[in-house]
Amino acid sequence: MSENQEYMTALTIRLEDELFAVEASRVREILDLVPITEVPSARAFVGGLINVRGRVVPLADLRVMFGMERPEPDEDTRIVVMEVDIDGEPTIAGILADKVHDVTDIESASIEEAPKVGMRWRPEFVKGIGKRNGGFIIIPDMERIFETPGGRSTSVAAPEERAAS
Amino acid sequence: MNISDPTETFRQEARELLDQLEAGLLDLEQDPSNDDLINSTFRALHTIKGSGAMFGFTAVAEFVHEFETAFDRVRKGQSKANTALIGVALDAKDHIHLLIENPDAPIDGGTEILVQLRAIVDGAAVDGHGEAAPAVVAAPAPAPVVVEAPKPADSGAKRWRLTFYLPSDALIYGTNPELLIKELAGIGPISVLALSDRIPDLDIIDPEVSYLGWQVDIEVADDPTAAIDDVFLFLRDNMELTLAPLGGEAAVAVIEAPAPVVDVAVAAPSDDAMPEAPFVPEPVVAKAAPAKKAKAAEKAEADKPAATSLRVPAERLDELMDRVGELVIAQARLSQIANSSSDTALKTIAEELERLSSGLRDTTMGIRMVPIGTIFSRFRRLVHDLSGELGKQIEFITTGEETELDKTVIERLADPLVHLIRNSVDHGLESAEKRIAAGKDPKGTVRLSAVYSGAEVAISVIDDGAGLNHERIRAKAEENGLISADAKLTDQELNHLIFAPGFSTAKEVTALSGRGVGMDVVKRTIDGLRGTIDVTTTPGKGSVFTLRLPLTLAIIDGMLIRVGDGRYTIPLAAVEECVELPAGVEANAKGRNFLDIRGSLVPYLRLREVFGLKGQGDEHEKVVIVSSGEGRVGLVVDQIIGNNQTVIKQLSKLHSGIKSFSGATILGDGTVALILDTAHLVASGQSYVERNLGRAA
Amino acid sequence: MTKTILTIDDSASIRQMVAMTLTAAGLDVIEAVNGQDGYDKATTNTVHAIITDLNMPVLNGIEFIRKYRQHPASKGIPIILLTTESDEELKRQAKEAGATGWIVKPFKQDQLLAVIKKVTGA
Repeated sequence: MSENQEYMTALTIRLEDELFAVEASRVREILDLVPITEVPSARAFVGGLINVRGRVVPLADLRVMFGMERPEPDEDTRIVVMEVDIDGEPTIAGILADKVHDVTDIESASIEEAPKVGMRWRPEFVKGIGKRNGGFIIIPDMERIFETPGGRSTSVAAPEERAAS
Repeated sequence: MNISDPTETFRQEARELLDQLEAGLLDLEQDPSNDDLINSTFRALHTIKGSGAMFGFTAVAEFVHEFETAFDRVRKGQSKANTALIGVALDAKDHIHLLIENPDAPIDGGTEILVQLRAIVDGAAVDGHGEAAPAVVAAPAPAPVVVEAPKPADSGAKRWRLTFYLPSDALIYGTNPELLIKELAGIGPISVLALSDRIPDLDIIDPEVSYLGWQVDIEVADDPTAAIDDVFLFLRDNMELTLAPLGGEAAVAVIEAPAPVVDVAVAAPSDDAMPEAPFVPEPVVAKAAPAKKAKAAEKAEADKPAATSLRVPAERLDELMDRVGELVIAQARLSQIANSSSDTALKTIAEELERLSSGLRDTTMGIRMVPIGTIFSRFRRLVHDLSGELGKQIEFITTGEETELDKTVIERLADPLVHLIRNSVDHGLESAEKRIAAGKDPKGTVRLSAVYSGAEVAISVIDDGAGLNHERIRAKAEENGLISADAKLTDQELNHLIFAPGFSTAKEVTALSGRGVGMDVVKRTIDGLRGTIDVTTTPGKGSVFTLRLPLTLAIIDGMLIRVGDGRYTIPLAAVEECVELPAGVEANAKGRNFLDIRGSLVPYLRLREVFGLKGQGDEHEKVVIVSSGEGRVGLVVDQIIGNNQTVIKQLSKLHSGIKSFSGATILGDGTVALILDTAHLVASGQSYVERNLGRAA
Repeated sequence: MTKTILTIDDSASIRQMVAMTLTAAGLDVIEAVNGQDGYDKATTNTVHAIITDLNMPVLNGIEFIRKYRQHPASKGIPIILLTTESDEELKRQAKEAGATGWIVKPFKQDQLLAVIKKVTGA
């Protein structure tokens, strides 16, 4: 864990028009867009599979969980391959990012809790909101987001759509 | 380089030996005068004792020693291996097992078992002889050691003269006089003189015979008798040796008088670990009896072919499988490139490589495959014990022991099968009286079978007992709130209720089967193996529990198909045949999707629908007929692309809940393709059939 | 030159223990699982000493010693028999068959090394 008392080392990525931060120490690699195999009957959040060096890796689209628009990928689109905990088990998954920015340190002191109301997205998926260069960075709660329905905790997942084609 | 702990190796070895021992004892019960069995039992005990002592398992060694001694009567034919004896022997085996797993914990029960054993053995004595300890009576031997009247050594004597001649075959048999002399030099400063008086003339000399003698003077304060004994430890019996102090008295101190050897009770081997006492010279007269026994035992062994096998850590096998998997994927990509190339040399080598990698895959898969008989054998003991405890006579039959499954699958099957067998014996089979009253053989039969079926293995537990009682199941389910009082359920659905959590039909909680909660755990375990469990029953006649499991977990032959824009793989072993979807079939179907395949109706599923894809299928859709167990279903696809070697990759938790797919694979072009779960699709087809026709097709 | 010791025992744990003890003392070790395997290995490799168990399938220790001693390669090679008891009759048989010495089980590692040193000087 790179999160210590003072700062969190984070990879910042852009989803739609918001900046998100994921723990840099958990990132395995960053790929350009690769062919995505659609999984019929899967939740829209994890509708695809990709091949990462001979390994079959699920592809997650955080934009679904945050109720964002999902435009077609362009030349900035990247896939961030990282380790996430799913119901307590470490798993490798890919995260779609509209753009990948940089690795930065966010001072823990500057991270605030997400407000319970008045925020655009579901607060239970947001671990905190940090500040950087005058802008906000959303720190997603990856464990909650990746929890399977009927997984470990009893939190309610966002209403899903079936994978449409 | 194997760096594991020898103690752990011993433990594993002991476990295997104990398994052999148990099987041997059970066989012996059926065939009590089989000498080979008796001897192999003995040998297993002997090895456990010897190795156990070596690795510090003293409790084990002591117990086994006593066990051996008591069982020795059986070996000598003075006792018969009757059922009571076998029973105690099995208890003893369990005790040994406990001792091996917990060498430090104080475990009781050993003494009682031994007492019981001795009681049975003495009671069943054939000839009524007492403890016959065949004494080795010695005839006074021609003493090769030079003996003089023993006189105490003078404390002042500091120089000793040792004179010795080695036995004539000493050199051939590996004795090195140089080393002996070196050892003597370790006692104190020495001066050595070689004695050539016995060397014959050159023309008759045999260079391999020892003719030389030595005279060695040693300077040492204390009596070197013991030390010299030690040097000549292995040679004392047939060499010549004199030792005398030099200077001072003329008295000659000798090493040993060859006393006649008496009272050596061969039946009770001594407990001394190392021969500390100087080696007593042996009588030359041979003693016939003990040798014969040893020979008989060894002869039995000599007739068995040596099985060479190798222990490999499971992780290494997994690594090997991964490498082979990667190789298969790379080879698939090469084949793809070769196919679209016009380079014949490339095409040829790609074909060759495909053949080789397929062979390598088969061989490697074979390593992980283990015959299911390895877990079947432990059930013999289970049924034997249950039979005794419940007072039911049971015939236990196994078939298909040679059916092979992946090692990891087999290990996880053991517990569920124990549950099922227990259940059949305890609840399924009726008591002898009830059976006779029903016109059945008082001896109940439990059959365990394993057989291949397409891409699966079917393992069945069959009993000829009373069958499942549907009224009782219904009552219990209602009682536990699993179904409502007016719910309509088919017989099959009633049967499946027994697998629901929180269900139990056992009127009494028997100590053996516990609360009958085993069934839902069994189902969960089988689900975890991506298998299915089924039960059919006939009241009064019996029940059949069938487990179906996928054959392999790693690499299979797959059929690549296309539905819409997506490509999917179907395990080839599950594919029965492929047909064209007859034109106009949809129009006539009236919502009933059935195909007529040579007279039988086969339901079909449109994968487009199953996958929720929009749009129409291709013009000439194909139907792939797959089977799982007894059922079949046709899968309608847009295109059948071809066959490929499919390396199965597990799906993550995010997708593993999707029932239609059992895994994923990587195709030759690097993209991911999902693997269809044929068992689930067949089941879907079946329920579709049942809903529409009201009965199984 | 490093001496090579052949150890013959059907028990993998004993073989392992013997091999570990001897290699730690700077010796090379060849393993065999029964008397026949031992005979094959003893007659096709250069060995400086042999340690053999008694009770083994196919060919037991004493049978192995007898058979091996008929082969010219066996001359002068010390053979140590592992026995579970100090049975005098057994020792006599062993010597008659051509054993050089014996070790009684259970034995400690330094006892093993002492006997090996005694008969090979290594």
